[in-house]
Amino acid sequence: MTNTLLTKQNQNLLFHIFDETLKPQIEELLYLGKSAGADLVEVFLEKSDNISLLAEQDDISNVSPSFGIGAGIRVFLGKKDGFVSTNDLSKAGLLFALNQALGMLGLVTGSKTNNKFEGLSDLSDFGKKKNAWLEFIPDLDESTLKLLEATKLLGDKNKNLQVRRASYSRNWQEVLVAASDGVFARDIRLHQTVGINVIAQKDNNRSTSARRYGSSDNPDDLRNWKIEKSANELNESAQKMLYAGYVEAGQMPVVLANKFGGVIFHEACGHLLETTQLERGTSPFHDSLDKQIAHEAVSAVDEGITNHAFGSISMDDEGMEPENTLLIENGILKKFLSDRAGSLRTGHPRTGSGRRQNFSYAAASRMRNTYIKQGNFSPDELIKSVDDGLYCKSMGGGSVGPTGQFNFSVEEGYLIKNGKLEKPVKGATLIGEAKEILPRISMCANDLDHAAGFCGSVSGSVNVTVGQPHIKVDSITVGGR
Amino acid sequence: MNNSIANQQIFKLDSEYLNSLLKKYSYESEIKKWDMGASSSRDLSVQVQQGNAKQLKGSQRNSMTLRVWNKYNQVGITTTSDLTSDGINKAMRGAIEASLFGNEKESPEFSPLAKSEIEEITSKISNPHSIDELLTILKNAEKQLLDTHQSIDSVPYNGLNETYIERIYINSEGANRHMKLSQSSIYLYAKAQEENKKPRSAGSIRIKSSIDELDIKSCINETSNKLISHLKYKSIDTKKYLVCFTPEAFLQLINAFSSMFNARSIIDGLSLMKEDSIGDQISVSNLDISDEGLHPENVGAFSFDGEGTPTQNIKLISKGILTNLLHSEATARKFGVKPTGHAGLGAKVSVSPDWLIVSNNGSENDKNESLNVKDTLNEFILIDELSAIHSGVKASQGSFSLPFDGWIVNDGKKTSIDAATVAGDILFVLKSIVKIENEQIVTHQGISPHVWVENMSITGEA
Repeated sequence: MTNTLLTKQNQNLLFHIFDETLKPQIEELLYLGKSAGADLVEVFLEKSDNISLLAEQDDISNVSPSFGIGAGIRVFLGKKDGFVSTNDLSKAGLLFALNQALGMLGLVTGSKTNNKFEGLSDLSDFGKKKNAWLEFIPDLDESTLKLLEATKLLGDKNKNLQVRRASYSRNWQEVLVAASDGVFARDIRLHQTVGINVIAQKDNNRSTSARRYGSSDNPDDLRNWKIEKSANELNESAQKMLYAGYVEAGQMPVVLANKFGGVIFHEACGHLLETTQLERGTSPFHDSLDKQIAHEAVSAVDEGITNHAFGSISMDDEGMEPENTLLIENGILKKFLSDRAGSLRTGHPRTGSGRRQNFSYAAASRMRNTYIKQGNFSPDELIKSVDDGLYCKSMGGGSVGPTGQFNFSVEEGYLIKNGKLEKPVKGATLIGEAKEILPRISMCANDLDHAAGFCGSVSGSVNVTVGQPHIKVDSITVGGR
Repeated sequence: MNNSIANQQIFKLDSEYLNSLLKKYSYESEIKKWDMGASSSRDLSVQVQQGNAKQLKGSQRNSMTLRVWNKYNQVGITTTSDLTSDGINKAMRGAIEASLFGNEKESPEFSPLAKSEIEEITSKISNPHSIDELLTILKNAEKQLLDTHQSIDSVPYNGLNETYIERIYINSEGANRHMKLSQSSIYLYAKAQEENKKPRSAGSIRIKSSIDELDIKSCINETSNKLISHLKYKSIDTKKYLVCFTPEAFLQLINAFSSMFNARSIIDGLSLMKEDSIGDQISVSNLDISDEGLHPENVGAFSFDGEGTPTQNIKLISKGILTNLLHSEATARKFGVKPTGHAGLGAKVSVSPDWLIVSNNGSENDKNESLNVKDTLNEFILIDELSAIHSGVKASQGSFSLPFDGWIVNDGKKTSIDAATVAGDILFVLKSIVKIENEQIVTHQGISPHVWVENMSITGEA
């Protein structure tokens, strides 16, 4: 394509890395925006190279590569902002996008002469050491063989696994963030996920079981996947749930297992500590800073720095390095998660939490690796403390409503009677309200662990980690039959 | 400045140009068979907060999925948003590489209907609006909604958007499908709170071909009426209830279990149904369900699917009997029928419904003829909207456990339910229907009457 604003050596940017040579061209865009009267102009460039694979039973049934390139341009004026995304990086396409974003705020290019744009800083290149990652990751041969190994192993474990599926998804993303306050930063992100799921069937009984594993910035992740361990865990879960009865509904104490059990905190509390929610006036915790919002057993963190964790980032999608943010300390709310717009509108300082699925979304305050810190009890002590309740060994997904009510499903549950685990049960849904449930998390065990997941919200689906040790909730509504 | 999205001419899909590039690159790569689906969209949307613009968004996006058959008839695909010559060349190379891993046991082919006559949908292309016009409309809607009741303090989730979509499908045998449409939507999700009570929320959505056709007044009234009715709420006992699903809620439930009608899911063992389930009685006999993508109320209707097959109206359940399935080319070939126009585009092609229509066929009396949502005096639960469908439904097992918004109704008096879940089994639901009302109500996801089901397990406050 000719007439291209963003080019390198007159070739399509798709085939070149983002680097300092783009600076004059991006500065031209930022200057045009600033000179139109914008308070701040931000350009987000993204290039992606993804692949997803699916093995079903003993065949590869789908190989889907995808790639793309695009830009998001955001303009701030006062507390308002206009955002336009495009995958046309021609000069005409980008200028149209900029003009459209400016026009949303009543601004026109060329209408003012100077609005203090001092140019971009030197490039902060977080991706410098990651340039060759695409060459290090397993190729299609190696990846497909790994998936087939997994489905075969599952088939060997049990003949009643009628559906055996293994999927692999690799998302490579190169981003460049430039803003008229001088921010100029680049990163490369590599996310890999493996999912396995089975349907076991015997007579008229059916059970489904699924697991997902994920990492960031670890080219060897698929190579190092411990397939035997995953297959054992999945098969064991499917077999136990095959004859599980439906849980009886009611209000009861619940012990939630570690790892993905942390989805309760993610849904019930984490979302409500994002400035996105504060802006809308939908967080019940908007005026609770430095106040007790949870049981004193609860301390919680959101951070983007744990090595290879699925929600870790070298910089957020606004070019800021991620913080280790202490959200709750001994039950007291200490901090909110904030992005650029959230900070502007609520006054809470940015935490390196501005995230977006891709160029077509404006960044928003989002969680990264979020977990409840571990306590001093053993998991057994939590179980023993319950006379009549539910043990949630494996959780499904969940969601939070606009006023803080949350829900999530229990994939693998067991009744607790007199401090001991009894028969497996299915069909349980936990529902509650954050404000009521947080004070009821009364015990935290000493076995903190994490799990990868995807979180969908205003800026799309982003990779996150949830986590917790085993925790006990004194009382919660369990939906069932 | 006219900042509407109509003055952007760059984003027109040029099927001749794309066709010529694909012919060139396929020839150079010795690929004789290929097909391609592409789409282009332009979108403008606004959100407001307490009378001010909150976020204003625009987008213009293209994407293309290219599928090739190598000399061993293995299929490979690649998807890209870069429709430049370089991008398409790269996509061709990616698809050829992927084809080396194509499943030889199940290769898709061109749809036998990809060049057949197509039913023309007279899609309306609306006149575009400026961002200022969108903002004015939404600000007015927000104000009117806030003015309806003193307890409604905000409309935290709201939006008004205008979208133009263009799609094409072409293949190496000369198929050439093309269609454009426009779509506009408004959603208003409001919050209210009374002293010493929990905050409550409710919302509604309208979708039409153009902003001028949106019934914004009814969207405001529906949101307000629902929200006001939720202000006084109570907990309910956990037990089995007679339940009335609103059209929206019943369609949500049927859509969540649409794998029952999905030939792809059946072949893959992911459905409740089996390959020989056609002809089985799966519900009460006066229930009909069809998929009618071509229905005039379906403003997002395209006249062809991802494989170029014409969109068709398909009867899925007739007199309670599973009658037909939704098919792609590959599943239709396996079942010995014709594709139905419900396919995506891929190496393994997905299948999905377009626009479900639920109705009472009148073949026999309802089990409880007297029930009517407007004047029934018996105690019942009125389920208005289901939540968390992505996590609370086990489609392959048929079970569900879902939070919902709704009311308990006694002697005709509606009282909002504090928090509750409904649990059950879809086949049990379909066979426990005691009344399918006659009034068909159009929703944004299909058409259905109110549907009554007995003995549903509801968990309230224990």
